[in-house]
Amino acid sequence: MSGLLQNIELPDSTLPWLFALREKGREAFIRQGLPTAKTEAWKYTRPRDLQVDDFVMQTSPCHCSDECDCEHHHHSSSLGDALPFDCYALHFDNGHLRHEHLPLPRGVQIMPLSDAFSFADDIKSRLGKTLNLDKYPFAALNTAYLNEGVYISIAKHTRLDKPLALVYHTHSCHDNLFFNLRNLIVVESGAKVELIEYHHYSGAEKSRYFANLVNEIFVGRDAVLSHYKLQDEAFKAVHIAFNGVKVKGGGAYRSFCLQRGANLARNETFVSLTEEGASTEVNAAYIMNGWATIDTTTDVEHLAPHTVSSQLVKGVVGGEAKGVFQGKIHIAPHAVKTEGRQLHKALLLTDTAEVDCKPELEIFADDVKCSHGAASGELDEEQLFYMRSRGIGEDEAKQLLIDAYLEDVLNTLPDTSVKQWFASKVK
Amino acid sequence: MSTETEKPEIIDESGDKYKYGFVTDIASDSAPMGLNEDIIRFISAKKGEPDWLLEWRLQAFRFWQKLEEPTWAKLHYDKIDYQSLHYYAAPKQKVSPKSLDEVAPELLATYAKLGIPLKEQEALAGVVAVDAVFDSVSVATTYRAKLAEQGIIFCSISEAIKHHPDLVRRYLGSVVPYTDNFFACLNSAVFTDGSFVYIPKGVRCPMELSTYFRINAKNTGQFERTLIIADEGSYVSYLEGCTAPQRDENQLHAAIVEIVILKDAEVKYSTVQNWYPGDKDGKGGVYNFVTKRAACRGANSKVSWTQVETGSAVTWKYPSCILQGDNSVGEFYSVAITNNLQQADTGTKMLHIGKNTTSKIISKGISAGRSNQTYRGLVKVSPHASGARNYSQCDSLLIGDSCGSHTVPYVENRNKTARLEHEATTSKISDEQLFYCRQRGIGEEEAVSLIVNGFCKEVMQHLPLEFAIEAAKLINISLEGSVG
Repeated sequence: MSGLLQNIELPDSTLPWLFALREKGREAFIRQGLPTAKTEAWKYTRPRDLQVDDFVMQTSPCHCSDECDCEHHHHSSSLGDALPFDCYALHFDNGHLRHEHLPLPRGVQIMPLSDAFSFADDIKSRLGKTLNLDKYPFAALNTAYLNEGVYISIAKHTRLDKPLALVYHTHSCHDNLFFNLRNLIVVESGAKVELIEYHHYSGAEKSRYFANLVNEIFVGRDAVLSHYKLQDEAFKAVHIAFNGVKVKGGGAYRSFCLQRGANLARNETFVSLTEEGASTEVNAAYIMNGWATIDTTTDVEHLAPHTVSSQLVKGVVGGEAKGVFQGKIHIAPHAVKTEGRQLHKALLLTDTAEVDCKPELEIFADDVKCSHGAASGELDEEQLFYMRSRGIGEDEAKQLLIDAYLEDVLNTLPDTSVKQWFASKVK
Repeated sequence: MSTETEKPEIIDESGDKYKYGFVTDIASDSAPMGLNEDIIRFISAKKGEPDWLLEWRLQAFRFWQKLEEPTWAKLHYDKIDYQSLHYYAAPKQKVSPKSLDEVAPELLATYAKLGIPLKEQEALAGVVAVDAVFDSVSVATTYRAKLAEQGIIFCSISEAIKHHPDLVRRYLGSVVPYTDNFFACLNSAVFTDGSFVYIPKGVRCPMELSTYFRINAKNTGQFERTLIIADEGSYVSYLEGCTAPQRDENQLHAAIVEIVILKDAEVKYSTVQNWYPGDKDGKGGVYNFVTKRAACRGANSKVSWTQVETGSAVTWKYPSCILQGDNSVGEFYSVAITNNLQQADTGTKMLHIGKNTTSKIISKGISAGRSNQTYRGLVKVSPHASGARNYSQCDSLLIGDSCGSHTVPYVENRNKTARLEHEATTSKISDEQLFYCRQRGIGEEEAVSLIVNGFCKEVMQHLPLEFAIEAAKLINISLEGSVG
């Protein structure tokens, strides 16, 4: 554990509230330690890889010598062009926000989190309020290192003309890089915004690093935040992300997360529907091979009447990989007239693949409609035969079936170039 | 070492809803309160057990001392003081009875109130053979001679230990080892009696076998242990009914049922559990911690669990199937009803190990009052279980806005040819259905019971006839007072 908890001097430690918050995170992580086989929330995903002591933290962007062939030394705008659609893009290199000027429309305020500590009015009342440090050990660890990340605030009734993108480039020149990022995203009432997260890797193929990310998201009254994420990390990387979301009355949080990279990845989303009329969609897909473990964990909490949630998660698992889905719908007492739906389906491609799933309902109110479903199986022999008999090669036929399998979850995305981009990534 | 139990108060039957809340007034022969190695030696000596069994009990007890009571279930109850219980209570009798005529009349009267008058049973055409367990000792086993003609052994487990030690030694603890869990381990150390069934090769048991359990003496934990062995090609249907007299303290019940099913054999195990659930304010009631497991060892073997759980203050029960043999089948049908402050955490485990194994889970949960209910289940497919198939359905019905209903299924698939499906829904009784009934002059309470019975029908139809009628009545009794 010492590898993950290092004594690094962080800036702004003079702010007493920030210092206290970091300490709280540190203590909560020490109390819990790394999850073990007995930790119910991590029953199927065991972060064994993290037990080694060799993680390296960089408190500032890498300043290696010229001989170093890290791509970021001669980083060019080519990385910025990674997204094939028009957007306002913010870039992170190895876990550090790239400081560059971004022309922003009115009503959008973006600053590095470290600036926000002193300048954003609502930072104290919001930071750390979407997560329970004693429940999420990695979010606690993230809190101990609270420094890097971005603060995004969308003013009332602002409508963005194009998506806002957070692009995370990792091209570590040091092995075993470890970084923590915390984004605070506030969407004020009536605003509407699309947020895209793209985690990708370009560097030595066998690079191993650990990205520990937390997004805290506040969706105001009647506001809509669409949050689409693509996780495409290096195949030996560890990617652990926690999204804490609070949605107010009439507001909507719609998310989709496609995971296809990393050796160990977990995308955990905790949505709290706090007022009447709040709604959420938490959809996800995962495609995996090799020895990876990819975990999608969701927890939707209905705290008020007339709240609606739906979840659709689909996975394709090959190689010796393991797909994990844990989903929970919680309905608080008196949160009547609520609706919660959840469906998880997985396709196993090989004899060595594994899928573990735990859909959970926790209901304390009677006038509700809740359901969950889970299914897993292999590709339909007959469908495959149908195509083979029509001269379609086996690999191609399989790919066609997989595409068809994932189509309904991709269709939860609006019909734009963003959807086409995601569709191209499931190939 | 015998103590006279104080004369307990007889609770007026008419004054309370719990029909079985009477106490039989006979002196019982109890072990002193508490649990230690001497008590285990006492139990073992009392029952004249062989040394290997005593040694096994002691091993279990030593292991139990190292275990901690599990807390993962969604159950809240006062900590159980295992040292303030009597671990042995036998009805006091000079000689063991040879026929029903020698059985104490009070005991027979008790069973009559429960609706299983042994006297009558014997006269009735061979429908059900009953092995009645009264506290810890089996008082009478009917129809034994008739079953013996076909080689079927149906007796109390203590008798089986005496007369069929090889069978018992071979299979006891082979499905639920004492290391399995806290309550199973406790049971292994102190179990007092239970039923033993052996169905020989190719025999189809001509009648339904049945056991009735009653917890009678005050402060007595009941730890019965049932062992059923179905040899190749055999079939048996076994019924278990549970009732307990009304008491204010919580009574502990930690039972084990082990079933071994060999090639081509089939066992159907049905339970109706209506232990005393405690009163409106959650006072009293039985703590029911049961480990039930069936091992389908041979190819084409089949096990079917059917349970109707309406009683107990706290239920912790997961009848499981280990599907080892190729093509073996496991089924689980459950209706659980909780009212007032009852809590139930129940479900099943289906472990697919053999090829082409299939399993089916149908669970219906009804929560009313301020009760809480959890379905907790596991479906696990091992890498070699190709062609495995599972279908699970868990439906919950909520009556009133202060109860809770939870569903926690675990589905683990490690074989690509396995096909697993799980579905769960939670809702309340629909206003339309209720309105439809009310409109036709059916009272609200009656309408609710009608709808609930319809909701449970899929499970109830798997109960043997004698049980189905009783179970339908029990559902109505359990839900009384939950509407309006």
